[in-house]
Order: sequence, then C-alpha cells, then structure tokens
Amino acid sequence: MLAVLGAFLVVSLAIPVLSRRVRLPLFLIAALIPAAAFVHALTVAPRVLAGEEIIESVPWISALDITLTMRMDTLAWLLVLVVSGVGALVLLYCARYFAASEDGLGRFAAILLAFAGVMYGLVLSDDVFVLYVFWEATSVFSYLLIGHYTGKSASRGAALQALLVTTAGGLVMLIGIVILAQLAGTTSLAAIVEQPPAGPLATVGVMLLLIGALSKSALVPFHFWLPAAMAAPTPVSAYLHAAAMVKAGIYLVARLAPGFAEYPGWRVLLVSIGVVTMLVGGWRALKQFDLKLVLAYGTVSQLGFLTVVVGYGTRDAALAGVALLLAHALFKATLFLAVGIIDSRAGTRDLRKLSGLGRAAPVLAVVSALAVSSMVGLPPLLGFVAKEAVFTAFLTDALAGSATGWVALGGVALGSVLTVAYSARFLWGAFANKQGVEQTRPARKPADFATAPVILAVVSLAGGLLSDPLGTWLEGYADTLPAWSSGALASGSVPDEVEPYHLALWHGLEPALGISALTLLLGCLLFWKRDAVFAAQSRVPARIDAAKSYWAAMRAIDRTAARTTAATQRGSLPVYLGVILLVLVVAVGSALTLNRSWPQAPVLWDHPGQLAVAVLMAVGAIAAARATKRFEAVVLVGVTGYGMAALFAIQGAPDLAITQVLIETVTLVAFVLVLRRLPVRLGEKHESVHRGARAAIGIAVGLLMATVAMVALGSRVADPISLELPRMASEGGHGDNVVNVLLVDVRAWDTLGEVAVLIVAATGVASLIFLDRRTDNLPRLVDGPRRRGLFGALVQGSTEPRVRAGSDGPSMPLRNAIRDDEDSSRLPWLLAGRTLAPENRSILLEVVVRLLFHSLIVVSVYLLFAGHNLPGGGFAGGLVAGLALVARYLAGGRYELAIAAPIDAGRVLGLGLVFAVGTATVPLIFGADALTSTWFDDAVPFFGQVEFVTSTFFDVGVYLIVVGLVLDVLRSLGAEVDRQQEEENDSSGAQPTAAEESGSRV
Amino acid sequence: MNTLVPLVVLVPLLGAAIALIAARLPRLQVAVTILALTAVLAISVVLLVLVDRNGGHAVEVGGWPAPYGIVLVVDRLAALMLLVSSIVLLAVLIFSVGQGMADGDDETPVSIYHPTYLILAAGVFNAFIAGDLFNLYVGFEILLVASYVLLTLGGTAERIRAGVTYIVVSLVSSLLFLAAIGMIYGALGTVNIAQISERLIEIPPDVQLILHIMLLVAFGIKAAIFPLSFWLPDSYPTAPAPVTAVFAGLLTKVGVYAILRTETVMFPTDQLSTPLMIVAALTMIIGILGAVAQADIKRLLSFTLVSHIGYMIFGIALNTVIGMTATIYYVVHHIVVQTTLFLASGLIERRGGSTSINQLGGLLKASPFIGVLFFIPAMNLGGIPPFSGFIGKVALFVSGAEQGTPLIYALLAAGAATSLLTLYALARVWNMAFWRSKDEVEDYKSPLLDQLSERPGGTDTVQRTRATPLLMSGATTAMVGVSLALTVFAGPIYAFADRAGESLAGTNGYVDTVYPNGIPDGAP
Repeated sequence: MLAVLGAFLVVSLAIPVLSRRVRLPLFLIAALIPAAAFVHALTVAPRVLAGEEIIESVPWISALDITLTMRMDTLAWLLVLVVSGVGALVLLYCARYFAASEDGLGRFAAILLAFAGVMYGLVLSDDVFVLYVFWEATSVFSYLLIGHYTGKSASRGAALQALLVTTAGGLVMLIGIVILAQLAGTTSLAAIVEQPPAGPLATVGVMLLLIGALSKSALVPFHFWLPAAMAAPTPVSAYLHAAAMVKAGIYLVARLAPGFAEYPGWRVLLVSIGVVTMLVGGWRALKQFDLKLVLAYGTVSQLGFLTVVVGYGTRDAALAGVALLLAHALFKATLFLAVGIIDSRAGTRDLRKLSGLGRAAPVLAVVSALAVSSMVGLPPLLGFVAKEAVFTAFLTDALAGSATGWVALGGVALGSVLTVAYSARFLWGAFANKQGVEQTRPARKPADFATAPVILAVVSLAGGLLSDPLGTWLEGYADTLPAWSSGALASGSVPDEVEPYHLALWHGLEPALGISALTLLLGCLLFWKRDAVFAAQSRVPARIDAAKSYWAAMRAIDRTAARTTAATQRGSLPVYLGVILLVLVVAVGSALTLNRSWPQAPVLWDHPGQLAVAVLMAVGAIAAARATKRFEAVVLVGVTGYGMAALFAIQGAPDLAITQVLIETVTLVAFVLVLRRLPVRLGEKHESVHRGARAAIGIAVGLLMATVAMVALGSRVADPISLELPRMASEGGHGDNVVNVLLVDVRAWDTLGEVAVLIVAATGVASLIFLDRRTDNLPRLVDGPRRRGLFGALVQGSTEPRVRAGSDGPSMPLRNAIRDDEDSSRLPWLLAGRTLAPENRSILLEVVVRLLFHSLIVVSVYLLFAGHNLPGGGFAGGLVAGLALVARYLAGGRYELAIAAPIDAGRVLGLGLVFAVGTATVPLIFGADALTSTWFDDAVPFFGQVEFVTSTFFDVGVYLIVVGLVLDVLRSLGAEVDRQQEEENDSSGAQPTAAEESGSRV
Repeated sequence: MNTLVPLVVLVPLLGAAIALIAARLPRLQVAVTILALTAVLAISVVLLVLVDRNGGHAVEVGGWPAPYGIVLVVDRLAALMLLVSSIVLLAVLIFSVGQGMADGDDETPVSIYHPTYLILAAGVFNAFIAGDLFNLYVGFEILLVASYVLLTLGGTAERIRAGVTYIVVSLVSSLLFLAAIGMIYGALGTVNIAQISERLIEIPPDVQLILHIMLLVAFGIKAAIFPLSFWLPDSYPTAPAPVTAVFAGLLTKVGVYAILRTETVMFPTDQLSTPLMIVAALTMIIGILGAVAQADIKRLLSFTLVSHIGYMIFGIALNTVIGMTATIYYVVHHIVVQTTLFLASGLIERRGGSTSINQLGGLLKASPFIGVLFFIPAMNLGGIPPFSGFIGKVALFVSGAEQGTPLIYALLAAGAATSLLTLYALARVWNMAFWRSKDEVEDYKSPLLDQLSERPGGTDTVQRTRATPLLMSGATTAMVGVSLALTVFAGPIYAFADRAGESLAGTNGYVDTVYPNGIPDGAP
C-alpha cells in the first residue's frame, strides 16, 4: 500500500516533466497508477474479506506518536476500489475530453493523479493525523482543480470558496482529533474506535470531528460550495465532487460509527442534517436548467441521504449505507461523464436547448438511463438493492420503538420522491424530444469517448445482479455495529431473535418494496406536473441562501480586518512608542502595586553631588523635549551626556568620565554637521498623541524606572561579582586599570561586539550619504588615474563613482586652487588658502590646529598604551585622535581633512577589526580559549623594563576603529555634505541659508 | 569545541574586516562573504553533532571563569538555531548576489552590503550563544545596528521613513533591555545567565515578577508581540527583497529565542503563563487580520510574521517540555518558511514588476516555476499538511491539549482561525497574482479586493518586469527544499527538538552546562 502511494507521488511529479513531450497519452500513463492500486486491492481481496486486516507502517514523527500506518479492512478495501477504479476510468476519459492543444494539461494530469493518490491514502490511513494530512491535501488539490480554468473569475472564486469552507471544517476537525487522540492516548483510528474515550470532552471532540466531515461532504449548511465547484472541468466534477472527495466525510462517519454512534447528539445531528440536506438538495435540483447543476444538487441531496444511513449506527443501516455509497459513486460518476460528453458534442448543457439527443446518441442515452435507474432505485440495479436495504433497516428499528428511525425513514422516503423527480427531469432534459426546441446536432467524437461511463454503468448493473455475494463481503464492516439503536433498546420492544439483513435483489413483497413503489409513483407525478411544481417553486422565496451567507461572512471578515488594522496600524511613531511605554507602565506598574518587598532604608544617593547632577540632567532632558530649535535640542541633550560623565567621575571612574566627555564632544560635532542640512526649527509637533498624554507617559516611565531600581537594589542578598574584579584584573589581566582590563580582557568579547557596532554605524552613515559605496569618498586635489579593482571592470559601474571630488563643479576659488595645484608640484602648508572662500577662513585657527595636531596624535597614542594601568585606553585614545581630525577639518575644510588622513576610512575600520578579531583568534591556534591574553615582562634596550600584555593589540584595534569612525563621519557628514551644498549653491546660485551659515561657522 | 564556538562569531567578523579592506574588489568581497557564511554553516553542523552526542558546552572566553568573564553556551537549541540561521543567511546572500550581478548593485551595494551583512550575521550568531545577559544585549546591538544600515540601503524617502520608525522603536527596546539588565544586576549582582537562574530564587517572588516583566517587554518588542508589534509591518516591507527576507526570517526569532531562554532558564516559574497566553492569542488574531487587509504581498507577509509569533509565544506560555519542543520546531519552521516566502515575493516583484495583488496577474503562465516556489511555502505557512507548518501547529495543539484548560482551548480555536485566515490571505494572492490573467488586471472588480489597503507610500506604478537570474531562483528553490526537508525528516528533526526541549532546564540543563561542578563560591 505504501509502495502504491509512493508510485502516485513519483508519477505525479514526473508528469509535468513528461508533458513537454507527450500530451494526451499523459492521462493514459497516469491512469496506470490507480489501475495498479485497483488490481492490488483485488489481489488482497480474499484476505481482507476473510476478516484479515492488512497493515503497513513506517514511523514518521515518533516523538508525537505519528506513524504512516496504512490499514486495509473491509471498509477501506471498498473505498480503495471506488477511489482507484473510478480514478483510473476518469483519467482514461480525460484523454478524450481535453484537446491536445489546451493549456496546462501537464499540471492538470499531475494534480488529478496526485489527488487520486491522497484519496487512496485517506481511506487507508490508520493514524488520525496522517488521515488529516490526506484530508487537507484533498482540499488543496480540489482548490487547484476547480480553478483549472484560471482565466474565469467564477472558477477562481469557486475554488477559493471550496478551499476555505472545507479547510475551515478541517481545522475544527483537527481540534477534535487532537482532543480525541489526547483522551484515547493513541493516534490509531482503529484503537480509538475500538475503545472510544468517554466523557463530555470526548463528545465535544466527536462533534468537532463531525463538523469537519459535514463540511467536506457538502452537507447543509456547508453545501453551497459544491454546486459552485462545478466550474471545474467535468472529469473533476465526476471524480472529486461525486465519487471521491465528497465521500471522505461519509467515509469518516462510517469509520467512526461503530465507536461513537451512541454518543449523545451523534444520531440526532446526523439524521436531522442528513434529511434536511437531502430535501434541500432535491428541491434545488428540480429548479436547475444546467444538467451539471441538476447533478450537483442531486449529489448534495444524495450525500445527505448517505449521511442519514451511514450515521444511523445500526448494523443493517450500515450495510445499506456502504452499498448505497458504492451505488452512488458508480451512477453519479457515470452521469457526470455523460454530461461531459453531451457538453463536448452538443456544445451546451442547458436542458432548455437540448432536444432529440436520445436518438442522435443512443449509447449515451442507454448508459445514462441505466445510471438514472440505479439512482431512483429501479431493479435490477445496485441502487435498488441499496435503497430497499435502507428502508428495511429504518423500518425495522422504527418498529422496534426508535423515534429517530421514523424520522429517518420519513425523511429519506420524501427525499427519494424528489430524487425520482429530478432524475426524470435530468433524463428528459438531456435526451427527450422537446416541442419548439431545435433538434440538437451533436458533433462526432471518437467512439471510445464513452468507454468510462459504459464500464461504470455496467458495473452498476452487475452490482445489482451480484448483490448477494457483494452483501456478504460488506457484512464484514456492518457486523461491527450493534443490531439496534439505543432508542429502540430503550423502548423495550426489541424482538429477541432477528435474522440479520442480507443484500438481495428480491426479498419478497416486503413493506420496503411498497415504500419504493410509492416514492417512484409520487416522484413520477411530481415530474409529470413539473410546470406546476416549477411555478410553485418560484413562488417560494429562498429565505436562507448559504452562498450569500458565505459572501457576507467573507465581507465581514475583510471589513473587520480593515477596521482593526486601521485602528492599530496608525503609521505614527509617537503612537507606537506611546503604546510600548504604556504597556511597560501598566505591566510593571501592576506588578509594583502587588509588590510587598520594599527596601527598609533605601539609599537615595552616595554623594550629594549626585543629586545636583541628576537634577541638572533631568532639567536638561525635559528642556530638550520642549525645545523648538534643533540646535537647542542637541545642546540640551549634550547636558545629559556631560551630566552622565560627571556622575561617572563622582563614582570614581575617571576612564568612563573621560570617554563619556570625548564621546559627547564627537557626537555634538556630528550633530552640528548634520544640522547644517536640516531646517533650523523642529518640525510641526505631532498631534497624533496628545501633549498631555505624552507628558503623563514620560513622567510615569521615569517614576517607574526609579521605583523599580529602588526595589531591585533593595532586594539584593548576594555579593556582586564586581567585588572580585580588581584583584582579578591585576593578577590575571596584568593591569591596574580595572575598567581597561575589563574592556580589553575580561569582557573583551563584549568590546569586540561593540566595535563591530561602531563599524556598522560608520558604514551606515556613509551608506546614507554616499548611497551606494563607501570607497572613493576621499576628496583629493590631485586626482590621479583611478585604480580600478582587480575585478572592478567586470562589475559594471561599481567603481565608477557617481560623484568625483574634482569634477563636480566646485566654486570659483576651488577651481583656481585646483588649477594652481596642477601647476605646482607641492602642496602649501595651509591648504585652506586655496580651497576655502576667504570669508570662511580663520587663519589663526588654522595655524593653531596645525601646530596642535601632532601633539594630539601623540597624546592619543600615549592614552592607548597607558590605558592598561592608568586612565585611558584604545577607546579614549581613538577619540582624541578623532578630535584632532575634527579640528583639522573644522579649521581647514575637507581638503585639509584629506591631507591630514589620506586613507580610506573603510580600510581603517577593516584594519582595526582585523586587529581585534586577530587578538581573539590567535590564541585559538595555540589551543587556548579565544581572546586569552598573555604577557611579556622583559628588559628592552633603551626603554628599560617593559611590561606588555597581548590584549594591547586588541586595544590597538579599538583605537583604529574609533579613528575610522570619526573619519567616516567627517567624510560623510562633513566633507560630502559640504560638497553637495556647494554643488547646490553653484547650480542655484542661491545665498546660503541661515542654517548653512551657522553650520559652516562652527 | 572551545575553538569552534567562538569562531561562529569571529569568522563573520573577520570576513567583514576583509570585505571592508577590499572595498574596491567587489568579487573578492562576494567570495569572502560566501566563504565566511559557508564556514559558519560547516561549524554549525559539527557543533550540532557534537552537542547532541556530548551534551551542551560552555566556553569561557579569554579563560576567565564564569561568572566573572563571558561564557558562550552551545546547547542543542543554540546549535540548532546556529545551523538554521546560517542556512538562511547563506541562501539569502546567494539570492542577493544573483540580484546584484543582474542589476548592478543598486539594491545591494557591494561595499556596504557585504560587510554589514556579515556583521549582522555575527550579531545573530552571538545572540544565540551568549551565556551572559549583557553579551546578549551586545549581540542584539550588533544585529540591530547592522539592520538599520540594511533597511535604509539606497536611502529612498520611503526607506528613510520606515527606517526612522524601526530605529527609534529598536532603540527604545534596547534601552529597556539595558535598563532591565541594570535592574537585574542591581538585584542579583551578576549578569551571567546561569548564575541569574541560581540567584533569582533567593529574592522575593514579587521582585522576580517585576524583573521578569521588564525583560519580557524588552524582548517582546524585538519579537513583535502584540501590542508591541506595530512597528514591524511599517518597516520591514520597504527594504530590498533579500534584506526583508533575512529580517523576517531571523530577527524576530532572535527575540523569541531570548524569551525562550528567559522563560526556561532565568524565570522558569509559570507566574506569567496566563498573560502570555492572552497576548499570544491577540498577536495571532490581530496580526492575521492585518494580513487579510493587505494588497501588498510583502506587507501581507509582514503581518503573517507578527501573527505567527503568537503560536510560539503560546508554546512558551505552556511552560512544559513538550510545549517547548513544539515551539522549537515551530521557530525553525517559521524561520525557513518566512524567508522562503519573502524570497519568492522578491521573484514575483522582478517578474511581475510589483508586489501588489491589485497590479499583478498572469504569473502562472509567465513563470510556472515561480508559481511552485510561491505555492509550496504559501501552503506551508497556511498550515496545510504535510508541510512543516502543519506539523508545528499539530505539535502545539497536542501540547496544549495535554493541559486542556478552557483558556488553552480558546487558544487552540484562535490558532485554528489564524491558520484559516492565513490560508485565505495567501490563496487570494494566488488567485489574483498567479491565476488571473494579465488582461483582467485593468479595472478588475471583486468583493474580495474591496477592503484591501496598499502599502503606505508604496508605488502604484508597475515597474519593468525582468527575468529572474538563476542564482535568485536557485537560492529560493534551495530554501523550498529545506522547508520540505522539515517535513520529510520531521521524525529525526522533531526528536532533536525534543531532546533540545528537555535539555533547556532541569538536570543536564543550561545551568549544569555552564557550571558542571556547581557555582564557585569564591574567586578562582
């Protein structure tokens, strides 16, 4: 069985590939697989019918107890025959139905075959989750098949509708499966049915499962998807929507009935819904003009019928049910295929336009008549045998005292009257001579077009004639059910000894025969008076239209979705931040109100200076939030930063204080460089969140943080790990500066990450300003021949800069400078004399900066190397060097900067990272942990005793990265923005605005 | 092991350094980036095998013993995350290389993209192996700052606007995380995760609760849990396709990973289970309603991303081993499928010239292969069996049913509804973009499209349609293959997730990995 399943999969996958070479024979190749499945089922038939169960199993997800178990018993065997037999015939039929030139044949054949495969798997699966896998797979393939005519919006809509309805039912069913599997402690369907879990939860689980089955089998109120699905090609309708997929729900009911039929609600639900569906379907079928829709509503009706019978849950009903299931698959597939031929030959399926087809296509007419006879229950066809059995089963149980039995009997009898009427309407509509309708002249088609329906009709006939052995085979399933329903047993009038019912063509003059005859008679009457019936039907308004409810539901979902999303997704950053902070305040706040662990004597400050600084910072922060000008806001934010430095200093951390001061300074410079390009005033206040609300949230968050900090610190019982750090730093890290040892040794891994952050930040700034590259952003006076990368020429445009320093139309003095420069071979000491407009120069500043520059660089290097034992370190050193570059740039402009640091910032960053990562990696080579430091303490000529720790290499990396960052910021926000500004000024000739003025003067 | 673990971070960083230095050699940059990520992929495989055989492993960086130095911890979960994320990063990289070679590097400028991408990777990897809360913060910072750069590549007005939302919200979350670390250090005097776990039980439960909530709020923003999730759909969809793909696949999952560690190692009590479940249900439902309302595929996918985070939070909230196992499987599934779908929508954008279903049509005819590459992951995300989305969902449902409280059944219902609406949203995309023919697109009216909103600031014009380079479709195909492998090899993978779930806490769990001999009392 698993091998057959595998064959389905492999061939389905191969078909799209094959479809490039063969067209219609594809279907014949495909038909081989279900045919093989059919033959396989026949070969094992003796074993199965002898009561043996054939089981194959492969583990799949053992942790969830999910196994690919295939289990063939009588019920599964019967369905395998239906699914594979009809499947093979439908595929055969496809080879004549489609034209070789049609689009998407490969896709269609592959999906149809795959569908047959999952249907095969569905009826064999023993694991409930695997069953569900196949169950949902049929939904998806059905979606793809219904939508086969992709160009028709009706097809697409119907496909989506079928998918959503059946998947919705499927998901409900999944929860039911989960509940049942959980309660039963097994995922085996057979085991669950054998020992069904009890209790209200189990009942809920079963009901959920039934909802899935009902939606799949298109029962009221889910029935509407099935007629819409007739937009599919006719072979699909014949297979999926008559013989196979819609039977899945019936199959599941049949499978569960032996275990669950007596659960509260089961019988009432299935009988009532089944009867209603049978009547609704029959009623609607009488109104249709499209032959395919007559059949579709007829199918809905018959599915209701099947549900009543299979769900009833007594032995005789079950026997009748499986016989009916087989009969229905045979005659309904025949009829659909016949309609397909009519459509294909006559060019229409409208019964008002067809006339005289019976004489023109006699074979088709005979085949259809046979199938219709089986549908209405005429002897000697299988449908007759099954219907007799149904009536007898219900009548017996009803007579024994079951009220439900009476309802079921009355319902299906009434339904059968409608069935007779619409069947007659179908036959008449398709083949009869009609007054005043032009005779249909069917096109000629190959005779073998009708092969599949002929075979199916013959089997319908044979089934009736051979009903005796057939019945014996099917009793293997029926015997698993009790003889009487609980209603009958409760009444106490159950006869002691009853002969179990056998399927047979002739049972004698029984009451069932009488009911059959009556329904036939009334049905014919209904058909005879069809005009009056039709008139009556059109007077009855369709009060409940399930299809309309579907669309209303979809619209409601769409509307709810649109509204919810509009309400939550405001597109406003202040709203998002407000919500986030509000969540914080509410969540942590409510935890705080429940808190009972308040510190006894909270320490508010260690030093009164802390309070003063804190107040200053708070004032600065509030003022920054209220600032109206950008520059003002930046300076006020700076106050909080410098305040932080003061706090570090008070706490006794000079390293941190120095670093913080340097960072604030560099940040301020960067801000100012950016501010040149922004409007002076801050933008309009966002009113998306009310001012008062924002203030309240801000204050609440502040108070919250302070309170949490107090509570957290107050609850400390353990010693902090920091107590050990000074000793470890000096013993293990060979440094007296704990902060530095922490940064470059103990927690160097953090630092490594943070320098990566710096690199990305620098790259990001460059990316935003230069947009697509970070190289070649060096403004140079001498623009020598640009070296192309090794492979540069191969990648178009990547090394060709969009903007070149020398060719971008600089202002007049600049142009002169360049010309001068080309004349002279050496650069002047004060370059700004050539490159800056006189009104932008300050000679004094330029000279001072030139003089100080080298000293600052030396200081920075000193800080770098001294850092291990004294305040300093790579970070501070790098910042000092960066500030030296800042000074050069501010004094002398961008060409001055290029001379001061004639290197690519990206390379400096990269080199720094190589140092840092190298320090981390090299110890690995020697088998030590990453970043392990070692030290040398030796006498070096001229220097005396020198102590050197390898972690200093790491610090060198940090130094380089910081320098690179500053350089990148200056290049991007400084030099490049200068250039863009000059370009704009040049092109527009406009005077610099106030913002630009103040910016370039800083 | 001691050598391999740090290398997962060091190799990408070294690659980034080389890429920066070789800024003018784009081919070399591409080669280095691919090489670095391939190396990490290989290392992850080795780590996974070793860890599964020998149990978790902790590396003390620089030889400094925990809790004083930083430990890097690789247990089964971390190794699995490393492996999955390195696969995703590599596939997306190859996709973007294909795109860059075909278009020039407008969308992914080599000299910026490659170093930044590698640093992003380093950040993600570091977050997975951090055994130290502050180092976890550093990992987050690395990946966030790198993501700022990638999100604003090209500097278009739309991306800058999205970038501002993204950056400010991320900074707030980082700030909250940092504050929470401060508070935790204040209360416990340590930032070592294993030691936090040990010391936390010594302080009063009400203070535990406060610290717990602070951490969860910070992580919740990163993981995009409702109502902390609004930033995500407004920022992700604007980035270039490969960037969105890797963001969607990985970044929120790093947040989920952090929550997983929080709930299993640091705060293993169930004091927040009920609120987490309610939040999970809201995340699922509100998120998927957002997806249903979208016309733009990328924005739609961003909403499904938020929505399905709810499933993972649900699994975590169950606070049982099988719940964690299901969550781990779901995380892996979701990383793979979201990335694949975003890559597929990148292909759609190239072939169809748009990502709005109001503009697209006839794609199935134009390129059946893209159809397959979209359909399979779409069904997968919609929870259709036998794909991994279904397995993850069933696993979560089964774990939930084991406890079987009314609230949990309500969550199962919410999960099923979410699954259906996901399918609805994606099948509608299929109906419009793939089935509908190109001629129908003009003046198309359907009740299904009435309520849809376009991406704010998204362009209405259809761009020029282009062929899809082999590398792009190849990378997407490979990802579809990975997603199918999650089904075919569901048995062993789920069994691994099961072992990973078991070793999260308890004996042989995280704390024992870091301190095999118990926590040292004094200094070394």
